[in-house]
Amino acid sequence: MTEYTPVLVLAAISGAFAVFSVLIAPLTGPKRYNRAKVDSYECGIEPTPQAAGGGRVPVKYFITAMLFIVFDVEIIFLYPFAVEFDLLGWFGIVEMLLFIATVFVAYVYVWRRGGLEWD
Amino acid sequence: MSAVSVQAIVGAAPSPIEAPDVDYATISPLLIILGAAVLGVLVEAFVPRAYRFVTQIAVAVVGVVAAFVATVVVGAGLDTVDGEVTGRGGPTAMGSLSVDGPAVVTWAMLLFFGLLGVLLFAERRLDGGLSAFTSQASTPPGSADERHATRLRIEHSEVFPLAMFALGGMMFFASANDLLGMFVALEVLSLPLYLMCGLARRRRLLSQEAAMKYFLLGAFSSAFFLYGIAMVYGYAGSFGLAEISTAVSSQIGGQNLLLAGMALILVGLLFKVAAVPFHAWTPDVYQGAPTPVTAFMAAGTKAAAFVAMLRIFFVAFGGARWDWAPAVWAIAIITMLFGAIASIAQTDVKRMLAYSSIAHAGFLLVGMAGLTSGDGVTSVSAVLFYLVAYGAAAIGAFAVVTLVRDAGGETTHLGRWAGLGKESPVLAVAFTIFLLSFAGIPLTGGFISKWSVFAAAWDGGAWPLVVVGVVASALALFFYIRVVVLLFFAPPQGDGPTVAVPSPLTWSVVAITVAVTIVLGVLPGPLLDLVQQAGAFVR
Amino acid sequence: MSELFGNEAWWVIILKALLVFVVLVVFTLFNIWFERRVVARMQHRVGPNVWGPFGLLQSLADGVKLALKEEIFPKHAHKVVYFIAPVIATIPAFLAWAVIPFGPEVTIPFTDTVTPLQLTDMPVAVLYILAVTSIGVYGIVLGGWASGSTYSLLGGVRSSAQMISYEVAMGLSLVAVFIYAGSMSTSEIVAAQAEDTWFALPLLPSFIIYMIAMVGETNRAPFDLPEAEGELVGGFHTEYSSLKFALFFLAEYINMVTVSALATTMFLGGWRAPWGISQIDGANEGYWPVLWFLGKTLLFVFLFIWLRGSLPRLRYDQFMKFGWKVLIPASLAWIVVVCVMRRLIIDDDLDPTKILVVAGVLVVALLVVQFIPERRTPAVEAPEPDAFAGGFPVPPMPGKQPVAPSGAPVAPSGEKEA
Repeated sequence: MTEYTPVLVLAAISGAFAVFSVLIAPLTGPKRYNRAKVDSYECGIEPTPQAAGGGRVPVKYFITAMLFIVFDVEIIFLYPFAVEFDLLGWFGIVEMLLFIATVFVAYVYVWRRGGLEWD
Repeated sequence: MSAVSVQAIVGAAPSPIEAPDVDYATISPLLIILGAAVLGVLVEAFVPRAYRFVTQIAVAVVGVVAAFVATVVVGAGLDTVDGEVTGRGGPTAMGSLSVDGPAVVTWAMLLFFGLLGVLLFAERRLDGGLSAFTSQASTPPGSADERHATRLRIEHSEVFPLAMFALGGMMFFASANDLLGMFVALEVLSLPLYLMCGLARRRRLLSQEAAMKYFLLGAFSSAFFLYGIAMVYGYAGSFGLAEISTAVSSQIGGQNLLLAGMALILVGLLFKVAAVPFHAWTPDVYQGAPTPVTAFMAAGTKAAAFVAMLRIFFVAFGGARWDWAPAVWAIAIITMLFGAIASIAQTDVKRMLAYSSIAHAGFLLVGMAGLTSGDGVTSVSAVLFYLVAYGAAAIGAFAVVTLVRDAGGETTHLGRWAGLGKESPVLAVAFTIFLLSFAGIPLTGGFISKWSVFAAAWDGGAWPLVVVGVVASALALFFYIRVVVLLFFAPPQGDGPTVAVPSPLTWSVVAITVAVTIVLGVLPGPLLDLVQQAGAFVR
Repeated sequence: MSELFGNEAWWVIILKALLVFVVLVVFTLFNIWFERRVVARMQHRVGPNVWGPFGLLQSLADGVKLALKEEIFPKHAHKVVYFIAPVIATIPAFLAWAVIPFGPEVTIPFTDTVTPLQLTDMPVAVLYILAVTSIGVYGIVLGGWASGSTYSLLGGVRSSAQMISYEVAMGLSLVAVFIYAGSMSTSEIVAAQAEDTWFALPLLPSFIIYMIAMVGETNRAPFDLPEAEGELVGGFHTEYSSLKFALFFLAEYINMVTVSALATTMFLGGWRAPWGISQIDGANEGYWPVLWFLGKTLLFVFLFIWLRGSLPRLRYDQFMKFGWKVLIPASLAWIVVVCVMRRLIIDDDLDPTKILVVAGVLVVALLVVQFIPERRTPAVEAPEPDAFAGGFPVPPMPGKQPVAPSGAPVAPSGEKEA
């Protein structure tokens, strides 16, 4: 695990910098209260009232997120395969092609059923 | 830095990794079913809507039948093994699957249930030419979008590939020879079922609620199972059932880890088989899910989970039998009693069948507590026989439930079933036969199966369980008889129940399950021989 | 991988970590100036040229100015998350640089300690970079959500959808590199390119896909939809001001440099000198490689700016369609080709020069195809409503379902998509 200690050091340095910046900001800047300033910015018009629960987003985004998970998992399986590619021989290639093809079936299904359309 | 010279770095090739030896012929039933599922997804993507439903049915039926034939061929070709256990077949695919006698019998059983399930899914004559599944699961219930989708006669033919995936997972679950494979199989079988539970066309909110409950509790129990696996891995240093068995019998230390792991794995599996106190989801899910899905799920999940449970506890934890047997005893007793007593209070047919399924989980646990080897009825063979008889009757009973309808869809309140005997004597008789089989009345499959698990338990010295089992059976009998009386002798409420005229699909399911239930009661010999020849689990 | 990684003295680790930090901050200040100057040149302007030589201190002045601005705390903001989001966005941006190799092993001046010019390395270094950079998405989406403003929320959600969409293509494009290098460690990938050739040549399609994905991943033009001024004002940081805004800005520019550095390491031989210079003795030793590395990275940064200066922004649906329907299948197909090709080369069944010939023929064929006039087939099939048709009430698109007021004629169908 010692390879990861430098990461922690860098994280500590950058974290200290970021936290310091966030904390120092109220001290360095002026404070001039103005009601319009603390409202949500909507190009100068009266802001629309907040939707319940902080605003909901279309379900399309969740579908995108799920598709991302599918492909990310595929990538995670591809990486070790790629690293050990030379040792795995033809068997490894055939197995991986089968795997890619299987995931591709799901992809084709989503495509054909309009899961990738954004209009 | 040289020019393109790829050979240079390849020069000293390290020794290649050896390709695993996989006997594809032996695992062909699994491959066929999963292939049918993948093909179903492609059908969903490319076949025009008008032909999609029919194509899906064809793919599913052909897949299941082909897999069944393959299973029979594989089963006929299994070698007899005479090692520390007598059995047939053995591990394949680098020990990740064990295609032995019980596994092959379970495959055949699951494929049989799967075929019946597909036939029920395919029924489209009951609801005005539409299937029992919602037209568009993503539309909010009662919305204009939903009505629009219904008007366009859109259907979710995805249920067929989903069912195939679930079936593949069940088959994998019953034959997996290591804990990690079992976990994957558990997820493969569960996830499609969660989804299918939420697809009902009628009473969609209830159906979605059922799916949500099933999903949350199922995910929770999967986590238990996974934690258990992790602990057992920590104890034995391996996921393989055989290696765990070696570690258990050599008592390598760290018994607490083993006990905790066994307990967690047991909890995860008891959830799947719906044993008390892990049964809470069962009534709601059975009631809310589309009835064909309930039928498939009730029979299939129970069979797969019980075989997997027997495999884990007999093969891997056989050496620690004295540690887990008391827990199984206690759970068997409360499950039987609770299931029998709670079903008395039910007024809804589907909930009643759900509680009956809980009680049956208890009886199956009695079988698990029985004799592991010997000449008589062993635990494995008794449980396998029980699962066939119970599964057939359960699918048949739910098939009958799909047929008793009123304007709002299926009418599941027991009061509305009064007088069914006059409305449709054939259906009422069929339902009676299923109930009698659940109750364990002689000349039905239920009697022989109860007798076999009790015999196995008695020979194994678990006589207190047998006593409780008989008492619970008697309690349940009281209730089943009451329903039968209601069907035939009670005056109908209002117009009485209406029986929809189904297509030959549902009729054939009812006919087949009635036939199986009676044949198993009258002529149990062939199946008993088969499950006894299947022998023990081979690791 | 050098044995030194992780086994160095404390002061060496802290020194190197500090250097990485300083380099990144300074590089960011430089890049902001660089971008403004280059874009100005492209638009026949001069750009910042007053403060410092060539206006180099302009970014520093801007930074100080930001610090002196009032910090606004929006009324609807979620108290804690609003503060934490910029921190979450910033830290991972720095962390990715922990495994970027700047150069070979060198002696630290005034001592005789030998250390690689790389903070650390691990067998899964590239995976680590991908993992750490995706944490940055949390900062953006949380910042957008916590601001309690419509524009911020939409910008944050868009941004996360965009980043995860292009991350898939990016991850897939790296698979071919791992196949060729046989490792995921950055220093070993650089070493493998020294023995072989720069992977950009044999893996050109991967390189192109990576370059497209890296632009999408960093929300830069022409894929800067989360900050599309015309639609979303500022995107997720609409409600942020002062130093918190500066942190988001910093993170964005560091991410831009990160993907550039990763591209350099993966495809352009990392810190090794380009052909021509590499023939000179000592070009790949000592501190010189840092120059080659920064030069190559700056090349990519210039590419970013060039794209911004010349391309208009894509529409959101075009952008997502391109990512999901073109980049991902193309990457998967290319991985399959690479697998087979590489295997044949290893087995000596295939001569790499033959591949080049075939590739050349294919390119020519593609060019020829480009000149064949396209025949447009009118779309006849009406789109069928299906399971993905939004599960959430969305008003109809303009022109799709014209709602006619009573008596008024329905708008002519020619008016589609204003």
